[in-house]
Amino acid sequence: MAKRRKAGSVILTAVLSILSLVWLYPIFMILMNSLKTERAITTSGAFRLPAAATFAGLENYVSAIVSQGFLKSLGYSLFITISSVALILVCCSMCAWYITRVKGRLSRGLYFLFVLSMVVPFQMVMFTLSQTADLLKLNTPWNICVIYLGFGAGLAVFMFCGFVRSVPVEVEEASMIDGCNPIQTFFLIVLPMLKPTLVSVGILEAMWVWNDYLLPTLVLDIKNYMTIPMLIQHFRGSFGRVEMGPMMACIMLTIIPIVIVYLLGQKYIIKGVAAGAVKG
Amino acid sequence: MAGITLKNITKTYDNNVTVIPGMDLEIRDKEFIILVGPSGCGKSTTLRMIAGLEDVSSGEMYIGDQLVNDVPPKDRNIAMVFQSYALYPHMTVYKNMAFALQLKKVPKEEIDRKVREVAKVLELEPYLDRKPKALSGGQRQRVALGRAMVRDPAVFLLDEPLSNLDAKLRTEMRSQISELHQKLQTTFVYVTHDQTEAMTMADRIVVLKDGVIQQVDTPQELYDHPANQFVAGFIGTPPMNFFAAKVEKGEGGHVLSFGTCRIPTAAPGLERYEGRTINVGIRPEDIHGEEAFLALSTSGQLEAHVDLAEMMGAEIYLYITVEGHKLVSRVPSRMAVHSGDTVRLAVDGNKLHLFDPETQERI
Repeated sequence: MAKRRKAGSVILTAVLSILSLVWLYPIFMILMNSLKTERAITTSGAFRLPAAATFAGLENYVSAIVSQGFLKSLGYSLFITISSVALILVCCSMCAWYITRVKGRLSRGLYFLFVLSMVVPFQMVMFTLSQTADLLKLNTPWNICVIYLGFGAGLAVFMFCGFVRSVPVEVEEASMIDGCNPIQTFFLIVLPMLKPTLVSVGILEAMWVWNDYLLPTLVLDIKNYMTIPMLIQHFRGSFGRVEMGPMMACIMLTIIPIVIVYLLGQKYIIKGVAAGAVKG
Repeated sequence: MAGITLKNITKTYDNNVTVIPGMDLEIRDKEFIILVGPSGCGKSTTLRMIAGLEDVSSGEMYIGDQLVNDVPPKDRNIAMVFQSYALYPHMTVYKNMAFALQLKKVPKEEIDRKVREVAKVLELEPYLDRKPKALSGGQRQRVALGRAMVRDPAVFLLDEPLSNLDAKLRTEMRSQISELHQKLQTTFVYVTHDQTEAMTMADRIVVLKDGVIQQVDTPQELYDHPANQFVAGFIGTPPMNFFAAKVEKGEGGHVLSFGTCRIPTAAPGLERYEGRTINVGIRPEDIHGEEAFLALSTSGQLEAHVDLAEMMGAEIYLYITVEGHKLVSRVPSRMAVHSGDTVRLAVDGNKLHLFDPETQERI
């Protein structure tokens, strides 16, 4: 019995190792090619390791950062991601608290509305969305977070509701007796207790906003504002010319911040997702 | 310091379920009062209404002289200890205790002095920097008490604070809370379903059933003179024995007969029940088995079959059958009775509790 279990575990480890290699392969390809000269990428040498003749060093990185407005796009992407995630976390956690604690038709209806919003495909609403965004002047990096709030609220509220239900109501009652008003109860007692969910929702939403290409392309004025995914696409240039080297370097630089964020908060992701799933 | 007055308080929930149909209660200043009753009797609801965590549907609630129906919990000058302790899990013990004072903007030095003072009383000093999850159940319980104490409230409200502790710790904490009450000289309102807690700690006990007060009295009075059959059955371990008996006129009083057993009694007020059947209650310790008692009481003796003899150390609980009635008797362990034996026991006629069969009120 123990032998069979051990064999199973070995097979599982092997399969998962192969799977993870499959997952890592494209990233490795991008990293490898970002270090090669333009010629070496566009010819059949794309799959070969860089050799002395094809190795470009950090040239592509320098060119990506210096010549293509990378830093400006990085700034926009950072601002949009941080503002959107912050707005989603504050608004959705408050909303989930209301939905969970105030029983009634309104809160039940709200909850279903949020859950329903998760299953509506983006492509279905994107045309009306871009028109509405223009109409409401939500087409700059400074206020696009409002649109992200709308799209991110479904998942966030769903996950927060699951966790708030596991917070004992007596703790909130104790804080009311201790002298808190509802706002203080939320920010001093409930929000700190939601930390694992805050981190996991924050990471999931940050990955989505950071990597999102479609929404900013539809909404933002491309001549003035470009986020990183838009910039990467911009490397394709006109007349079919593609600057593969700087593009690969740019993709590598883009991956780094979100990977760091993920690694810092990964232990909370499991906790937060599990709390939402099990107790929800 | 303050007393609490409930004047015709009712509580009806949104779904038209009435939990408290109308309650009048006067809790004196510095009194230790315990609300006791079976699950769903409205004791916790009453406590939560005093705390302000539940609205009062109608009636008037006073803490001291102040009408508090519409006063929020934080302005009632109360402190509450919850069954689940309800400590703030992200704060240390120190912060848990200091939180209410910080909200009141009490100077830092004074907060520190008060928290350390209370921590010393409750022997929590070594744990001030720990978070609640690093404490045992008993320590958490003491933090919950400490959090209430630092505020010097006019009223302490305790909602089944010991029910999550093991039996040994519960006994310890029971005496600690009683000592605390002596020391603080503050009004304590305590909710429990455990009648041992009620009997050992309370100045007065309020027995509730279906939201209606059955009796408010001292533990001794409640035990000796229960107002009705419910109170009689609820207070006391093992519970009081009940059986139906016919009232007959006897020499110098009345005789209660069931089957072939006849128990003489001098209880007053039985005239109007002559020839009728009433409910008779007798506490297990008032069914005696000692030779000395049997020799003295020639009447009121009964022959009993012992279904089960439970050895409790100092005494034996005898589960007996008499004339088809199942009864419990508490006899000294030296009697050496065993399951299956047939024993002769005597009922103490002066200790009978008689109840009207219809109203179940005490006769």
